[in-house]
Amino acid sequence: MSGLTQSFGIAALGGYVPLLRLDRKAAARELAWSGLPMPRTGTRAVADWDEDALTMAVEAARLLCPESAPDALRFASTSAYFTDRAQSGMALDALAMPRTVRTSDAANSRRAATSAMLDALLGRRDEIVTAGEKRPTQPGSAAQLAFGDGAAAVRTGPDAPARLAGYASLSHDLVDRYASRDHPFTYAYEERFVRDVAVAEVLVPVVRAACVAAGIAPGQLAHAAVHEPVGGCWRAVAKALDCGIPNHCEAVSEMAGDLGTAHALYGLGLALDTAEVGEFVLLVSFGSGADAMVFEVTSPVPGASAMAAALKEGQVLASYSRFLSLTGSLELDWGMRAEFEQKAQATVLERVGRDMIGFIGGRDSTGNVQFPKSAFPVNPALSEVEMMEDVRLADLEARIVSITADRLNFSPDPPFDFGLVQFKNGARVLMEMVNRPAEGFRVGDRVRMRLRIKAQNRRLGFRTYFWKAAPLMRPVLGDA
Amino acid sequence: MATGIRDKVAIIGMGCTRFGERWDVGADGLMVEAFLEALADAGIERARIEAAWVGNALDDINVGNSALPAAHALRLSTVPVTRVENMCATGTEALRGAAYAVASGAVDIALAIGVEKLKDTGYGGLPLRTKGMQNDLWMPYGSAPGTFAQLAGAYAARHGIAVGDLKRAMAHVSWKSHQNGALSPKAHLRGAVDMEKILNAPLIADPLGLFDCCGVSDGAAAAIVTTPEIARALGKADPVTIKAIQLSASNGWEMQFGAWDGASVPNTRAAAARAYAEAGIRDPRAELDMTEVHDCFSITELVIMEDLGLSDDGRAPADILDGRFDSGGAIPCQLDGGLKCFGHPVGASGLRMAYEVYTQLQGRAGERQRGKVDFGLTHNLGGSPFNSVAAVAILGRLN
Repeated sequence: MSGLTQSFGIAALGGYVPLLRLDRKAAARELAWSGLPMPRTGTRAVADWDEDALTMAVEAARLLCPESAPDALRFASTSAYFTDRAQSGMALDALAMPRTVRTSDAANSRRAATSAMLDALLGRRDEIVTAGEKRPTQPGSAAQLAFGDGAAAVRTGPDAPARLAGYASLSHDLVDRYASRDHPFTYAYEERFVRDVAVAEVLVPVVRAACVAAGIAPGQLAHAAVHEPVGGCWRAVAKALDCGIPNHCEAVSEMAGDLGTAHALYGLGLALDTAEVGEFVLLVSFGSGADAMVFEVTSPVPGASAMAAALKEGQVLASYSRFLSLTGSLELDWGMRAEFEQKAQATVLERVGRDMIGFIGGRDSTGNVQFPKSAFPVNPALSEVEMMEDVRLADLEARIVSITADRLNFSPDPPFDFGLVQFKNGARVLMEMVNRPAEGFRVGDRVRMRLRIKAQNRRLGFRTYFWKAAPLMRPVLGDA
Repeated sequence: MATGIRDKVAIIGMGCTRFGERWDVGADGLMVEAFLEALADAGIERARIEAAWVGNALDDINVGNSALPAAHALRLSTVPVTRVENMCATGTEALRGAAYAVASGAVDIALAIGVEKLKDTGYGGLPLRTKGMQNDLWMPYGSAPGTFAQLAGAYAARHGIAVGDLKRAMAHVSWKSHQNGALSPKAHLRGAVDMEKILNAPLIADPLGLFDCCGVSDGAAAAIVTTPEIARALGKADPVTIKAIQLSASNGWEMQFGAWDGASVPNTRAAAARAYAEAGIRDPRAELDMTEVHDCFSITELVIMEDLGLSDDGRAPADILDGRFDSGGAIPCQLDGGLKCFGHPVGASGLRMAYEVYTQLQGRAGERQRGKVDFGLTHNLGGSPFNSVAAVAILGRLN
């Protein structure tokens, strides 16, 4: 445990919440006959079929790397799809960062992201830590409604607007819940036991120590972002430490759900959005122990307000059976058309995979951009082979040129919207659409690019990723 | 200067199976059926066939790749057989291969045969397979109706037509073809369908409903071609000849470059212009007596009418609703019911179209007979509107 005086801390934050939100009350009503206890307030963010921990973590990190690449890119999740293929390396390509940026994956604990962030802060390195979570849950479990899908990312750096003032870390193998290869769904122990032990043995000591390290009393904290193992922990900790301040992670739980490794970081974004200059903000993540950090706000933190706004945007997911299907809890018989094989070849990925996941097109000698690149440009004004300059399309807006809602071909979440989109730089690409508006897509609609799963082969356990076009704006919840 | 193939190749025999859900035969049986009819029509021994082109598009379902399935099915002994594939233009591509062989003088008599056995997939529509190539990493797995449905939105936007009005013209396309198909003994779907049913059918790919889509069928069709001289020697005093066969393929321009508005198919326009020139047709609206076009979807036929120059741009909906392309109209389209009623066994469709024109040219179409037919056009469109292969063939008589 240590106090820090150097001005090193959080340079910027980013967050991502999927469009769809399940009303917990409506879902609980579907299961009322069972008598099973489950949360009944707020909404739960639900990832689309083609979103996973990686895609959401990339979305969260996108705004953190505008001009310069960081020293390192860290990916954290307890629900990453690949177990022997670094998601951080794929995220690096999706974010079009140089291959010289160091990468690593962190997993197996809900505090994997904050631990990676703390390492970056202590090492005084410019790093991006991005956490994404789409945890499998079982129907009927409280976790299925309490958990949410989403991501949060942070960039560390010098002269940061949120200075790390002090920290403490405790390792404690308190088994409040677990998931394992043999039990991929979370298995939760009695809440009263967890709350009593976590508060007394982990949370109060670690928060107290972090405040000591920061040279402040707990009562000087203005905001908290505490990822509680179970509800009521922060209330007990605050009472013990005499600091009755709001826990911004509760808003994340209420509106999106427990985001696992991303939860504390998302709550931190809300806390920093609210905090005034000069105030101290507490961050606590929990999982096999806890990390506690105290930040002093020296100026507004880029990205924080966007995280707060994103929580309020979305579309209500009214169908409980669609929710079950999207979460993998209900296996529909999609018929023979769903049987087609979506195979990927490593040789092809090696040749062109980076251009695909990075959405890199090429600019020809006239300035026209095309995707994918080719030896002979598609531009009719050119007739000779030429080298093209790389142009990233992922961060550009486009417009729909042609569109349909395909109800014939298999899609895990029909209809299958696709069509041509046109970029201002000349590139025209046939693309899938996502985040279908209530009135459907129309020719001329403005769209933005989102990283999604392109194809998945469940038999071979492999996924490929590409970009899909989404409406430029999201509806505000309640208006949808 | 190339002179083209106008009147250098005669069709002396054609065959076409009944199209449909042919649970009774496999691809080999379909080929035999079409081949035997063509042989009988030509009045030649099969040993006279010196070369063959077989077209099938989907080698992963039942027909198989290479020359061998056709060579085996037809027991073509040591004949040079070539398999061709060019998506939905495959049947016309087979005819082009055989015609070019004869026109070049390489052989005297050649066979073109197209076949597809779609109904062994177990579902409607075309099968989907990916092989892990570059396109699989980014290109959407849209269905055929999904890709062609996009013509409708783009067409409506280009010409300022309300989608509802466009839907009525599209429905007329399907209504007309079902009327015609009812008179086609070899068609898959032989019932007339009323407009209300067409307009209220469930959506397959917005705005295409069920009746805006052609059927999926099994079938085969074949043509035996030779020189006009040999045709006459065989007793064909006024043989049907090929006036033109032209093909145009996308180079990616439509789907990768920003200039195309999605409301027409440039390849059809290019292939048609070349075919008219090759056939010596200056005014297709006045000179063509009938067309058999690639009506995989109603909107496709509508756009094709403009692409072939048979309607002014933006006028096809009105012309269709005015009955210009009905069986009694100025330029009837799909006198046999088209893909709409025959279904679309991909490799066979181009030759099935040629079969109808060939039959009409000889006045043998029974109650479907248009009257005197001097020129008939067939058109195939493979792939999708934004990435296509278009084939246009024009048939007539030698004299």
